[in-house]
Amino acid sequence: MAITGRAVLAAFGATLVVLVAGALGTWLVAAVLVLLAAAILADVVLAPSPRRLRFERSGDTSVRLGETAEVALVVANPARRALRGVIRDAWAPSAGAEPQRRRVRVPGGGRVRVATALTPTRRGDRSAAGVTVRSLGPLGLGARQCTHTVPWAVRTLPPFHSRRHLPGKLSRLRELDGQHTALVRGQGSEFDSLREYVPGDDVRSIDWRATARRDSVVVRTWRPERDRRILIVLDTSRTSAGRVGDVPRLDHAMDAALLLAALAGRAGDRVDLLAFDRRVRAQVRSHGRGSRIPQIVQAMAPLEPELVESDPAGLVSTILGGHSRTRQLVVLLTDLNAAALEEGLLPRLPALTSRHLLMVAAVGDPRVAEMAAERGSTRSVYEAAAAERTLGDRSRITAELRRHGVEVVDAEPDHIAPALADAYIGLKAQGRL
Amino acid sequence: MSAPLAPAPPTAPSSPSSPRVGDLWRRARGPVAFIAVLFVLALLLSLGARDPREGRLEPEGPNPEGSRALVQILQDRGNDVTVARTAAAALEAAGPDTVTVLVGTHRLPRDQLDSLAEGLDHRILVQPTTPALKALAPGVEMTGRTGEQSLEPRCGLDAASAAGTAESGGEVYTAPQSAGCYPAEGGRALVHVIGESTTTVLGSAAPLTNDRLDDDGNAALALSLIGERDVVWLRPDPVPEEGRSDLWELVPQSLRLSLVPLVATLLLLALWQGRRLGPLVAERLPVVVRASETTEGRAGLYAARRSRDRAAAALRSGTLRRIRPGLGLGPDAAPDSVVDAVAARTGEDPGRLGPLLYGAAQSGAADPYTADDRGLVRLADELDRMEGHLR
Repeated sequence: MAITGRAVLAAFGATLVVLVAGALGTWLVAAVLVLLAAAILADVVLAPSPRRLRFERSGDTSVRLGETAEVALVVANPARRALRGVIRDAWAPSAGAEPQRRRVRVPGGGRVRVATALTPTRRGDRSAAGVTVRSLGPLGLGARQCTHTVPWAVRTLPPFHSRRHLPGKLSRLRELDGQHTALVRGQGSEFDSLREYVPGDDVRSIDWRATARRDSVVVRTWRPERDRRILIVLDTSRTSAGRVGDVPRLDHAMDAALLLAALAGRAGDRVDLLAFDRRVRAQVRSHGRGSRIPQIVQAMAPLEPELVESDPAGLVSTILGGHSRTRQLVVLLTDLNAAALEEGLLPRLPALTSRHLLMVAAVGDPRVAEMAAERGSTRSVYEAAAAERTLGDRSRITAELRRHGVEVVDAEPDHIAPALADAYIGLKAQGRL
Repeated sequence: MSAPLAPAPPTAPSSPSSPRVGDLWRRARGPVAFIAVLFVLALLLSLGARDPREGRLEPEGPNPEGSRALVQILQDRGNDVTVARTAAAALEAAGPDTVTVLVGTHRLPRDQLDSLAEGLDHRILVQPTTPALKALAPGVEMTGRTGEQSLEPRCGLDAASAAGTAESGGEVYTAPQSAGCYPAEGGRALVHVIGESTTTVLGSAAPLTNDRLDDDGNAALALSLIGERDVVWLRPDPVPEEGRSDLWELVPQSLRLSLVPLVATLLLLALWQGRRLGPLVAERLPVVVRASETTEGRAGLYAARRSRDRAAAALRSGTLRRIRPGLGLGPDAAPDSVVDAVAARTGEDPGRLGPLLYGAAQSGAADPYTADDRGLVRLADELDRMEGHLR
């Protein structure tokens, strides 16, 4: 049960009555209080039961971070009397539900639809917490209240801000194709077709055997290799929890991974995803053709950084034990943390690099670069020294990784996605996949 | 990009999750029963218990200043002890065969003192006030105080001579026509006036208190003074102030009565605002830690420990890392070759560049930049300038 503001007003009115007519005697106080209590009690008893309501939900089940989803709630009142009251569709605070509560009137035997707009502030799954109905009595003094469990979940997907880079990178990718005049030949490029020579073509690509069979000069065209396997590995261990700008490293990594996956999907490569810290957090395997982006986005949505040290031995054995025994490009999105990498990944690199091509991508922190440039006071020089130490460790581990034949992409948050895409296009142009 | 696959919507039906009234009662009855049992137990245990009164010469007081011991001895000896809290009660209880002990006479107004003077035949005054002396023992005057506690009786009064030495030192009195015992400087500590009625004035309360009853001849003195008759022990309660009505009584009745519904209003207000619309929703919050935290922490450690050598080494290695590729040198280039290359490019003195780029290791002497914090700031600025020249 619950009391309404009107009951408080009524009690205040009773106070005024006693104040004015108090000279009549003490019985007045008792009479007024009994009347008030009886009115509130009767109102609570006469209020329609909110327990008998039935609910159904419908609407969006996923939304991109930053966009708004709508979830509808249908309230059915099987009783004969109309129900008047307040309804609250409760969601976790980060779901950004609006409005939180509203007044409703559900006619007897009727249904009412109420919509809640969700604007989540974080990635991940948000579940509905419960629907609370407060049913007012006929006088509006008291109310009955009941909470119902009406399950629903909305998945908030990574925002994919780097989408805007996709057209530019795709046109760069097409330049690799034989469709363009600027022809790039690499050792791994595949033979595509024969066509007539046009001035400007590389004379080295003239196919003399075919030319001898025809009147005109014929050149071979090449196209970049296709159907290569790419495994994107997201490191979800403690180093991914650190915030660069206002976003965790993991989210920057996801953004870059999505651009790479979209690009590679268009280029005809197969993209797998693995999220790992001490165990597999998410895994997407591609089989056959077709874009795996929707599955990857869905797999990424509920991932959260875990406060555990990563397990590189487990990671390497998971990658090597994967279903694909063929050579693949392994893109590891992690942090170039000297301590974590030197003790963890470096000793196990040879096992990985002997079979696969490894690329490590990391988000640099602009704040550290800012600190390194600070001068003036003693404190800022100490900060600059600490930042130089961090940058030095980073460049040392980068050099160490490159020595092992690992491609390293180290860029600031705004540039990590295009930089990773460029590195991928570069590898493709060289035919190293 | 194609639309992402949506997870399948949950299909479970809605169900009420609030407890019913019956559930609430079933859940609460255990604790309620426990508290009720505790309450009843406490009530039973507190029955019959009463806080003993405490105070100076309080006949029921077990405190050191009280007189319960003496009263109980008197009762054991067969004396009837009546405790009076008002003058009227004392007058009612007193008869020709009783002795009245008056303590705390400062609480008695003058008219009551007069009526007591008329109504009591035998009385013992313990450290009386001057008005009490005047009314009950006319002719006796207080002349001072003595510092001595134990006094010799030196008189013919049976009670005193039988008791011998007693701790009767306190106020001393003079009485021209009456017997006095326990002489001290300025007067006597015990005065016995016999007129229409018998009045004994005792200048010290010590012989009657629980604490001192068993010292010297205190008990003997007290018992022989009091113990010959039934006793009325008058210790007046504090007089309530009269003639002043407080604010509460001046407030009109309607205002006073309206406080009850006002309290009810506030209670309802609290209930109205305190009742949540449904339970709170818990959320698992992500870790919020800036990635640069470790670097900032290290800067704080450098600053706190004043480790200029480490800070200088970090600044130098950072600069070297940036300028080496431009000079065409590898990461393991010897310090001399780096200094020479920089000197050749900038035209600066190699003797100055050595300590700047490598500190003590190169020059052999103490590092000129790590002596104090100002040196470290200078080092950073000079490294910057040199790097600017190289660009």
